Amino acid sequence: MSSELEREIGHDEFDPVGTLGLITIYFLILVVLWIFMYFVEFAGGDLTVVGVVV
Amino acid sequence: MSTESGTFLDQFPAEAKVVRTAFYSSFVALFVGALMGILQVLHRTDVLRIVDSADYYSLLTLHAVLLVLSFSVFFLVGIFTWAVTTSLDRGLQDLRYTWAWYGLMALGTLLAGIAVLGAFIPGLDMSAAVLYTFYAPLQAHPFYYLGLALFIVGTWLAGLDWFRSWWAWKKDNPDERIPLPTFMALTTTLFWILSSAGVAVSVLAFLLPWSLGIIDQVNALLTRTLFWYFGHAVVYFWLMPAYLLWYTMLPKISGGKLFSDPLARVVFVLFLILSTPTGIHHQYLDPGIAEGFKFIAMVNTMFLLLPSLLTAFTVVASMEHGARQRGGSGLFGWLRALPWRDPVFTGMALAGLMFAAAGFSGMINAGMNINYLVHNTWWVVGHFHLTVGTAVALTFMAATYWFLPQLTGKAIWSKSLGLVQVLVWFVGMTFMSNSMHRQGLIGVPRRTAEPQYSGFDYEVAVGSMAELNMQVIIGGTLLFISTLLFLTVVVMTVIGDKVDGLPDNGYADTLSGPEDAPLVLDNLKLWAGIAALLVILAYSLPLAAIITRGGILGPGGSPSPQFVDTLLFVGRVAADTVGGVIA
Repeated sequence: MSSELEREIGHDEFDPVGTLGLITIYFLILVVLWIFMYFVEFAGGDLTVVGVVV
Repeated sequence: MSTESGTFLDQFPAEAKVVRTAFYSSFVALFVGALMGILQVLHRTDVLRIVDSADYYSLLTLHAVLLVLSFSVFFLVGIFTWAVTTSLDRGLQDLRYTWAWYGLMALGTLLAGIAVLGAFIPGLDMSAAVLYTFYAPLQAHPFYYLGLALFIVGTWLAGLDWFRSWWAWKKDNPDERIPLPTFMALTTTLFWILSSAGVAVSVLAFLLPWSLGIIDQVNALLTRTLFWYFGHAVVYFWLMPAYLLWYTMLPKISGGKLFSDPLARVVFVLFLILSTPTGIHHQYLDPGIAEGFKFIAMVNTMFLLLPSLLTAFTVVASMEHGARQRGGSGLFGWLRALPWRDPVFTGMALAGLMFAAAGFSGMINAGMNINYLVHNTWWVVGHFHLTVGTAVALTFMAATYWFLPQLTGKAIWSKSLGLVQVLVWFVGMTFMSNSMHRQGLIGVPRRTAEPQYSGFDYEVAVGSMAELNMQVIIGGTLLFISTLLFLTVVVMTVIGDKVDGLPDNGYADTLSGPEDAPLVLDNLKLWAGIAALLVILAYSLPLAAIITRGGILGPGGSPSPQFVDTLLFVGRVAADTVGGVIA
């Protein structure tokens, strides 16, 4: 495995900005999907049991 | 016992045999379970119904039990045995003991499997179509409960085996930190014993005697609650070996080091303390449990997002470290430098990606109000096919391509076919799970042999039911093909010849090692104590309420909402008081 390595990156030189980027995108996806699920699918749906009874 | 380098087989031949046997047992369960899976897909979508619809539930039970208990847990005991042996660099204490717990697990699986399959033998009065959750009043043949109990006891003894190794190691190395893989196995064992005690009580004290005719009835809500006391922690029990592989193998395979050993320890400690006091979130719609208790379970569940998000960060950062060491650059350009041609890496990375998607549907399941939208629908099935069905299963399959040479001394028969296999699984699950989620949103129920109803059409906002079913059929077929490809690679590898020059056994180094982790993290007694305390806080009142209202042996309380009972009670007291004053 080590033969494929081009360079050694130590603890102090490594700055995981790519990870930050990916996690930010993931977080945004989560927020958008949650808003969609809550407001469109859940709150936007018709009343079910209560609607039948009342 | 040996400290020389080489494969795991070279270092610990006897332990390698244990791990190998556990893996093979797991693969047999995978094959039968997957076969049941494809039969269910074709049955539900009305493509091919080779069994009576009443027997569909036996197939479903076998699919679930074999895949989520046998496949996953046999693989788990193999992984943990490897992890403890490798990281402590010592063999197990007593192999006869080890084979005894393996034997108990195998016997348990066999008994439960026989009980389920008995339904297909004419004239034999045996069945266990109780589904994975075995809710009373559904009743199974005693063999089913007995099998489950033996299997679980087997896993406890396995956990004790890893502890015995660690205790012995600690005597020789009193001042050293617990090596990370062993730490992971031990913390997982602790919450597993804590949580599975619930299902053991449910099975041994209530369901087995009831099935044997010793008692007439059980308190259905009590046994359900005890099931879910175990039922959510068990999902982390499957997940922890996958996490162990992501933390200790994936960074190495990516060409880097684990970003942070302390963070990994924090994650496993959080799972130890939070896995169990959350089970009631599976019972949001169960009458008979007060909303307040459900709210506490929801809060605990939301806290559990934390270790998973920590894992997302640590594991991706470790992969990024590897990619940059391999010459990757740019904000996202490093992704191209990862070893995508290696099925071990690609399988685990895609499994992680699917787990991220499952994180979203899990958040929906966990929310008390929004859960009503998807409860008991096919959405939930879509969710756990992403978690246990991909994050766990695909990681295990991918890891097999690394472990099999370590355990047999033979090279993987075809890594290219392995790569195709993990990709086919990913694509198949994308289709199947996507459709299951969408069907769930329009109300298609889970656990239903014939979800087709006359005089009623589902209102599909985008696409059509035919399109959604087609996705399930395509997805399910691809998953079955992927399973067959996997088993082909395994069998061809195992019957091949031994080779030299295999990679050495080992796991990833760390950028920030255990010396950076506070000592308190290794205090297993403390964390186990806190875990037990949280369980007492979350469960003592609900269990007391259920038993008080419904009796320890049933028949169960009234299904009216808890607040109505409380109002009636308060009203009666008020009326009596007023009556007393007037009189």
